[in-house]
Amino acid sequence: MTRLFRVLGAAFAALVGLFLIAPVAVTVASSLTATSYVTFPPQGITLRWYAEVFQKPEFLSSFALSAGVALAAAAVSAVVGLAGGLAIHRYRFPGRAALEAVLSSAFAVPTIVLGIGLLQWFAQMGLASSPFTLLLAHLVLTVPYAVRLVLAGLAGLDRSAEKAAAGLGAPPFLVFWHVTLPAVRGALIGGAFFAFITSFDDLTVALFVVTTDLQTLPVRIFNYMQYDYDPTVTAIGTLMVLFAVVAVVVIERFVGVAKLFGADTQERS
Amino acid sequence: MAAVGRLAGGARLSRPRWRTGLLLALPAILIFALLFVAPLFTLVANSFRTQTGAFTLGNYARFLGDPFYRDVLWNTLKVAALTTAGCLLVGYPFALYLRGRSARVRNWLALLLLSPLLISMVIRAYGWLVVLGPNGPVAAVIQWLGLTPPQLLYNDTAVLIGMVHVMLAYMVLPLMGSLDRIDPTLVPAAKGLGAPGWTCFWRITLPLSAPGMLAGAMIVFSLTASSFVTPAILGGPKVKLMPYFVYTQATTTLDWPYAAAIGFVLVVVTTGLLLGYSRLLRRGNGQVVFG
Repeated sequence: MTRLFRVLGAAFAALVGLFLIAPVAVTVASSLTATSYVTFPPQGITLRWYAEVFQKPEFLSSFALSAGVALAAAAVSAVVGLAGGLAIHRYRFPGRAALEAVLSSAFAVPTIVLGIGLLQWFAQMGLASSPFTLLLAHLVLTVPYAVRLVLAGLAGLDRSAEKAAAGLGAPPFLVFWHVTLPAVRGALIGGAFFAFITSFDDLTVALFVVTTDLQTLPVRIFNYMQYDYDPTVTAIGTLMVLFAVVAVVVIERFVGVAKLFGADTQERS
Repeated sequence: MAAVGRLAGGARLSRPRWRTGLLLALPAILIFALLFVAPLFTLVANSFRTQTGAFTLGNYARFLGDPFYRDVLWNTLKVAALTTAGCLLVGYPFALYLRGRSARVRNWLALLLLSPLLISMVIRAYGWLVVLGPNGPVAAVIQWLGLTPPQLLYNDTAVLIGMVHVMLAYMVLPLMGSLDRIDPTLVPAAKGLGAPGWTCFWRITLPLSAPGMLAGAMIVFSLTASSFVTPAILGGPKVKLMPYFVYTQATTTLDWPYAAAIGFVLVVVTTGLLLGYSRLLRRGNGQVVFG
């Protein structure tokens, strides 16, 4: 009886695994099809669709825009997140409670509502859409994660090393540079990478901020899909999956992916 | 009183420096004041305006008075509830299975579980278009069985499948935490006293994992009710969900005040339900589950 349950359990877990990877596996496989329509299993093997991707300048410029904004969002989020995390963790200052409340409620507001709010606010301020406004919009999505990770990094930090350094006469900046910063480095790198992915993948907010000349890659793909249904998109998809895999490996190496989502699967050793 | 360092300690670190704190937090405060609080206030203010700028309650009256839009709201809550149920049905046995595995296997499966969240939402939804599409594997299997494949895309079911796929992690992770906290001696003790396996499950494991289930349900419900990308791609215009109508009102109809009103209704309804729910929970078992 228990044996039967074990087999059933394993079979069920395998099915769930299949369900989880199905859309990605199918995307990767069908990007190789020789047919001009998307099909699975692929018929024939060709790299033609990858060549097509690189011949479409609009996709390349969208990629450049997305990557540039995402890099900037990652850098700014890391710096703002580090400063904000340190401030919340170590100082009492006017507005601290409000800042904490806003940071945690930012997750709860639907991105579509944030997108339309930003659209109306930017219009009221007379800000025309540009890579800069796109960056500003993405910071709202990425900074909370960076602060959250820095706070998690600081919570696990033993302050006696800092006190020892200060007691031995190191000025505050050196204490920060040689003791505090290395301790939260993993959290900071993880936060930056996550900020990069979030910004790079965002469709909802970007849809409201972009114009026809200024489309991020997800917006470009979304618009392209409304009219065309060909394997070029699956080829781009595969490239983006590869991109995500690299990012996940890096995050996993520095912080652990599960931690980003507030769960530590190694809790039980 | 604010001028006291939070942690007293070594010579330099204990000096009261709230100014330093404010300075460090300033970039984050500015970003959220100007790009989060201000836009949301603008949104709420605009939802009480006509297209020409005069004050009105008309946008809300229009929303509540129109059976079509009430239907959109109702369908949004229905799809969110069904997604939550689906995540629970798939996620609970999966979390139970994970409980008995080694840390290594658990880590790999957790990574697999989180993978949908880390891969571009547009690409993931596109993948489902292929899987469920007329040239996809599901249609092929149905055809192979000698049946005519039904239209699998652009309906509530397609949205449901896509949503369960993304949301599963949000259900399983709290469940795993909850299951791990159950005293491992309880079930053997009950078995030793003669309780059959099912009784152990119904009377021990299931009730004690309730906090995880409820936390997961809350997150999945609210995230599903407010998600746009997956329903837009897998459901299209035929599937009536609130976020999609916020989008079309703002970009196609260009009726910003009405779009703002729909968006605000969405926020009020989902947070209202969540608050009521967490209050219910707190009264139910004396503990806060969400947070």
